[in-house]
Amino acid sequence: MSENKLFDKSVYDARARQILSQVPLLSARDVEVTFSLRGNKLTAIRRASLDLYEGETLAIVGESGSGKSVFTKCFVGMLDKNGSITHGTITYDGMDLTQLKENDWLKIRGRKIAMVTQDPMTSLNPLKSIGKQIQEAVELHQGLRGAEAKKETIRILRAVGIPEPERRYKQYPHEFSGGMRQRVVIAIAVACKPKILICDEPTTALDVTIQAQILDLIRRLQKEEGMTIIYITHDLGVVANVADRVAVMYAGQVIEVGMANEIFFDPWHPYTWALLSALPQLGVKGEALPAIDGTPPNLFNQIKGDAFAPRNKMALNIDFMEEPPTYEVTATHQVKTWLRDPRAPKVEQPKAIARLSEPKVDKGTDPDTYHPHLDPNRETLIEVKNLQVTFGRGRKKFVAVDDVNFEIYKGETFSLVGESGSGKTTIGRAIVRINPITKGEVLLHGQRISGKISKEQDLKVIRSMQMIFQDPMASLNERAKVDYIVSEGLINHHLYKDDHDRQNLVQAALNEVGLLPEFSSRFPHEFSGGQRQRIGIARSLIMQPEFIVADEPISALDVSIRAQVLNLLNDLKKSRGLTYLFIAHDLSVVRFISDRIAVIHKGRIVELAESEELFYHPLHPYTKALLSAVPNPNPYVERNKKLLVYDPTQHDYSKDKPSWTEIIPGHFIWGNERERDGYLEEIAKKL
Amino acid sequence: MAKNERKKTPQEMQEPVVDLTIDYGTVDTEPEKERPMGREYPQSRNRMPESQLFEFAAYHSQDAERIGYSNYSYWKSVWQNFLKKKPAVIMLCVFILLFIFTYVAEWISPYKIAELQQDNQQIFLTPSSEHWFGTTQAGKDYWVITWYATRVSIGLAALVAVGQIVAGTVIGLVWGYVRKLDGFFTELYNLIDNIPTIIYMTLIALMVGQSVGIMAAAMIGFGWLGTARNVRNLVFMYRDREYNLASRCLGTGLWRTLFRNIFPYLISVIILRLTLAIPGTIAYETTLSYLGLISEEYSLGILLKNSRDYFLRFPHMLVFPAVIVSIITITFYLVGNAFSDACDPRNHV
Repeated sequence: MSENKLFDKSVYDARARQILSQVPLLSARDVEVTFSLRGNKLTAIRRASLDLYEGETLAIVGESGSGKSVFTKCFVGMLDKNGSITHGTITYDGMDLTQLKENDWLKIRGRKIAMVTQDPMTSLNPLKSIGKQIQEAVELHQGLRGAEAKKETIRILRAVGIPEPERRYKQYPHEFSGGMRQRVVIAIAVACKPKILICDEPTTALDVTIQAQILDLIRRLQKEEGMTIIYITHDLGVVANVADRVAVMYAGQVIEVGMANEIFFDPWHPYTWALLSALPQLGVKGEALPAIDGTPPNLFNQIKGDAFAPRNKMALNIDFMEEPPTYEVTATHQVKTWLRDPRAPKVEQPKAIARLSEPKVDKGTDPDTYHPHLDPNRETLIEVKNLQVTFGRGRKKFVAVDDVNFEIYKGETFSLVGESGSGKTTIGRAIVRINPITKGEVLLHGQRISGKISKEQDLKVIRSMQMIFQDPMASLNERAKVDYIVSEGLINHHLYKDDHDRQNLVQAALNEVGLLPEFSSRFPHEFSGGQRQRIGIARSLIMQPEFIVADEPISALDVSIRAQVLNLLNDLKKSRGLTYLFIAHDLSVVRFISDRIAVIHKGRIVELAESEELFYHPLHPYTKALLSAVPNPNPYVERNKKLLVYDPTQHDYSKDKPSWTEIIPGHFIWGNERERDGYLEEIAKKL
Repeated sequence: MAKNERKKTPQEMQEPVVDLTIDYGTVDTEPEKERPMGREYPQSRNRMPESQLFEFAAYHSQDAERIGYSNYSYWKSVWQNFLKKKPAVIMLCVFILLFIFTYVAEWISPYKIAELQQDNQQIFLTPSSEHWFGTTQAGKDYWVITWYATRVSIGLAALVAVGQIVAGTVIGLVWGYVRKLDGFFTELYNLIDNIPTIIYMTLIALMVGQSVGIMAAAMIGFGWLGTARNVRNLVFMYRDREYNLASRCLGTGLWRTLFRNIFPYLISVIILRLTLAIPGTIAYETTLSYLGLISEEYSLGILLKNSRDYFLRFPHMLVFPAVIVSIITITFYLVGNAFSDACDPRNHV
């Protein structure tokens, strides 16, 4: 693919010209939404304005609490009961949507403007067959009856990519997988033939490969059915994939809006900069990611000036006093920041933004970077041998992890990547001995730690291995103060002299993860996700471990906060010489942080290699599919990418049995003789 | 310190917001100058010269880290929330006064409970200035008897309720958390629960004895079942949460896990059960007395039992103890609900 074609911005230019010649289809002006919560007033949307043009896909990006969902719910009249639009207008088709009564909404909701929500399970009726549910919408909105309606339903099922629609028509939601369910929800929305389709994080709960398929579907449907789409997400890679135009929201306001190429390559709001720079995909290995400190503002408080100012390293004095007006960068690109004022000092966009427009070339292992596993004196810290974990008994027996082998060397970050249900968390938990193992063993420093071990050794293992959990909301005891949570391990084994000593240790641990000492007397619910995750890290650190299992430590966090945690983990690795087992589903994050990556599919590791090598030479078809599905935050690349789908039936293991072999030094793969020959040929071709 | 310095800057700049007078000496006074589009002319931009407005403000990452809430205390919030429920607070006060009065009543009365004698001349007297609540079928003063019986019943009920809940909670926690014991406790529960407790009570009363102490012990012995089952089911909700896994990684022992990690989440339910167990016990005690299984001389249950033969002719025999039982029941019902709501931290902040 030539570079010119890759960076072809004519698509966006054509769309921009089209937009400039149009009257907006829907136009929100100065919308303010307030909620009353136990007597307090929360201003969720603070005079936000947004235009939507016919035939476009507009992505709204923002962190949780930025108001992106609430804002779009106003367009379908679906605000929660305690919320109301207190200011502004939303014009659609000559009507002001803010003035509509519930009866009027029935004519618009679904028919003109439809919505697809995040969780497909809660939006479907479990007691009705899929076909009936779609047909209902067809009959109501298209006026078809009986056989005709059924025919249309089957057509729609086929259109959203459900195989064997006649058979699927009779099935119930529980017989569908998550991705299929989301397709059905989209089918119901499409059945109403809406002008505008609002997709509220429709792929957040899905795996990357499924997500990529749903994104493809949405793009195709837009073309075929001629819909206008509003796509809400927090994932910039997804934005790059679907969006013609992007609106960035922060603290209830649209702070920057422009064509996708303008937002990705020429953004002007410091928040957009920070958001893009904090992407691990754009990080340079070994360097800290440019993180955004702190947390989004509390909307219960009156916000003065620019809401982002307290977290903005380039804030001007005026940012603390006055809300910035909207400045025009180009005819399609508006931004709300004082930096665009003629009187403001000249600033340049951060380097990471420029890095985004450079094509990323996979070079394979960089000989200059140090990797612990390449060290001739490498020390094996953890060894997993023929690990098998099963759940249940008898007929209900389920093998979650089978025949897993790997070693983790001292000082490295070893990542385990796979989709939900692949068994990656099970492996992590088996190593820290939460899940009992059925077969095989786990060794620490060459000593067996699985199964029954002496009490003395048990304590040693507890001290040397700790775990960081995925969900910062669930991983802290809400009813205990931070002081207790952090010192729990100390108290258990009485690892301190007196109470004063214990408190000092807690303070030191909090300090190490960048939290203020006064936090120790607070309860977890007062903290944001990133801060809570750091409390969890402090809890593990206080045991002075040498090995930490990090189970998806950033996947539940907001984009702006992820970088904080990633940097912290990297810093600790340096300062304490920690070794990590990093469990994740997102390959792009993993590439930035890890030395080696193992790809796991259905409880079995299919490929293991040094991280750059894996991106350079992905061999196993599953790895290739996973790599092709990962969203890339460059819209040019993302829009032109080819999606690979993995089909497990392509392996013929009936005669030629597969095995776990080192195909080239440091690169392991699961495959049989014939496949290995193919893989070797592939490598030879690339060299 | 740098930290304080940063904190000052925006505040200093905010001060003029209150002071709306514009000092034209320091402000850019050329409103006619061409402005970028969308610019609204402000109300509060003074005291700071135009040139400074567009300078970079000092930045400190510690400041961005601060959190918005004030210091929070669980029990203080519980108490504040409870005080908002007026009917419960009023009833609680009424109950406390009532309990104190059970002591005062005997003291202000000319009759003393220990000195009451059977007096066949004075049976079934209606309330009068001599006998404030009338007299019983034995001619004893009903005022002192009623208040004494109230004291006995409340004491018994509190003892039994606390015993039941403590036993039920501890057993329920272990039952729910330790997987290996689940089968054992479930079978034990089924074994005991499938036979009506009244049969056990009768057997104990006939075989062991009918004193209040024995019956109270028996009531605790069978009363923990419901609480234990309830607690066990709740433990299931919290058992596999990540923070418990974290505790296992840290090697936290069973009892600390149960009492630091799980028990605090159940407080609101346990308190509700405790407060409802008190009127429940009084009602149960009444039933047992009615069946003649308790041989106590005076308790609210015994009084109600005694009144059943006479209350059509002598309603005062029924009315006084019944009113007191009602007050106690209503109080604990209201207080229990209010307090368990207040204990739920989702209702705080």
